[in-house]
Amino acid sequence: MTEHLQGVDQWIRDALVVGGHSKAVEWSDAEIRRASGGELSDASFAQTLSLASRFAPRGRLEPSAEACEAAAGLLEGWNPERWTGLEAVRVRWVLARAAADADSLPGAIEEAFRFADEGELCALYRSLQFLPGPERFAWRAGEGCRTNMMSVFEANGCDTAFPVAHLDDVGWRQLCVKALFSGAPLWRVSGFDQRVDAELGRMALDLVEERRAAGRSITPELWMCLRGEPTPRALVALDAELGGDDELSSCGAALALGRLGCQDRLRVLEASSSGRLLETTRSALAGHHAQAAFGAVSIPEGATPTPEQASAD
Amino acid sequence: MDKARFFDPHAHMTSRTTDDYERMAAAGVRALIEPAFWLGQPRTNVGSFIDYYSSLVGWERFRASQFGITHYCAIGLNSKEANDEGLAREVLEILPRFALKEGVVAIGEIGYDEITEAEEKAYQWQLQFAKDHDMVVMVHSPHRDKKRGIIRSLDVAKEIGIDMEKLVIDHNNEETVEDVLDAGAWAAFTIYPHTKMGSQRMVDLTKKYGAERFIVDSSCDWGVSDPLSVPKTAKMMLDQGVSPEAVEQATWGNAAKAYGYSGQIDMDALGEAVVVDQRELFSDNSVLRGQPARVDGEVPN
Repeated sequence: MTEHLQGVDQWIRDALVVGGHSKAVEWSDAEIRRASGGELSDASFAQTLSLASRFAPRGRLEPSAEACEAAAGLLEGWNPERWTGLEAVRVRWVLARAAADADSLPGAIEEAFRFADEGELCALYRSLQFLPGPERFAWRAGEGCRTNMMSVFEANGCDTAFPVAHLDDVGWRQLCVKALFSGAPLWRVSGFDQRVDAELGRMALDLVEERRAAGRSITPELWMCLRGEPTPRALVALDAELGGDDELSSCGAALALGRLGCQDRLRVLEASSSGRLLETTRSALAGHHAQAAFGAVSIPEGATPTPEQASAD
Repeated sequence: MDKARFFDPHAHMTSRTTDDYERMAAAGVRALIEPAFWLGQPRTNVGSFIDYYSSLVGWERFRASQFGITHYCAIGLNSKEANDEGLAREVLEILPRFALKEGVVAIGEIGYDEITEAEEKAYQWQLQFAKDHDMVVMVHSPHRDKKRGIIRSLDVAKEIGIDMEKLVIDHNNEETVEDVLDAGAWAAFTIYPHTKMGSQRMVDLTKKYGAERFIVDSSCDWGVSDPLSVPKTAKMMLDQGVSPEAVEQATWGNAAKAYGYSGQIDMDALGEAVVVDQRELFSDNSVLRGQPARVDGEVPN
């Protein structure tokens, strides 16, 4: 195993041990030894990925805040906070396969994707960020953006270092806009602030107009897409939001004013607002308007999106 | 019926709309099993089976979860398509790759259609697989020559050494129920208009035999069928004096027990209140909105 893969594997193993999942660790240690021992067929690789569900704990892995920090130290953009125990065991298995033979890895991974269930898809997408020769998996991550299973979409798009580094511009912007469109948390798309650009801002403002024409509300994180120099179009859209009565989206708009460097407008807003919007405005004035700040104004987290959001179009 | 909960252990949701999911959830259906079957016309290549099985453990599972319904499935090669022997061989080759996945509670639905040799071969192969992997088996019984088909299904399963406690024979009627009960297997009844059981007949059968080994399901699919037939039948049973305990057995407990032998059903999780996503509440468009589904009708014969 390379040092990188080893470090990640050790982190996952430790998290499982700390979580008290010794049975899962024992089982996955034995499987990993088997993988390093010799030829592993693609079918056998996929089979073990399935069988992990019989040995791994149900529910969240729940690593500590310090452990999550350590994970980000191993790979910037990786946040395992929401991983399940089963995903942890499965990612270990993928790492073992990567270590056994990196050249034939894409075939094995693609075969596993072909036969994967919902949980396996999530684990496979979460594993892409660690794999050697990541450009070989960029098409696959694009497929992950096209899914309508929101659990899978988030596993592929959120809390992972892969999309920001390896998706092309079309794929990257589709990921971001689809997150807004479907209610997935854009603020958890790792590296968003490094890659947000004028074209994404343009797409976001088009979406604002489309939703307003339909009489729909604006998801607060949409305003994350505005950054850099403020354009007249952006300011008109923000003013309209702040003149409305959607508190959460107004908070998002206030953070956007901070991102656009509109201190004067923020001061005017500070004088006229109250409650949560006032709080957010002050925070934006103090310079807290990076993507993580949008976590506080994001739609509350839940297990599943609405059927309307997962529509066929 | 406010707090009633139902397990529909045979529902082909791939063929149903979100309206059906909404109505099922509103009527109290908390969990269901979608067994693999045929699609109304024959498939022509193994890839179609791979994508179908994938959808049962992927997309359909996700779709059901949006309505607060836990979706399990059974994986198998159905009897009709077992007759395309070349294709059947290919399907059986890839079947193990799906059969041992999370949430797969049985091998099924398998069995006989015309009671041909090819059907028997596929049936035996799948029974052996189930036995080797200690799995539950869901058997489809034929429309034509049903009684003989059921007796043969039981005999062949016994020959292979399937534990009768892990064998569910489905689509029973008045003529077959005693054979199944005598064998010690679970007797499932499909409440399906016009061709299988009507709910009044199901009430009468339960009064006669008790519900100790009975499982009621809808088998709702692409035909004229009723995804609410389990809650409807439960209501009729209660209205006509069947004990609440018996109704609970036939429409929840027995299915959970029989398919629970798979180790794939987390009863604690099923017992928890359905989590309605906060993001849905935010958008003010909960999937469980609107009037409760009407279950005070009958499923006709």
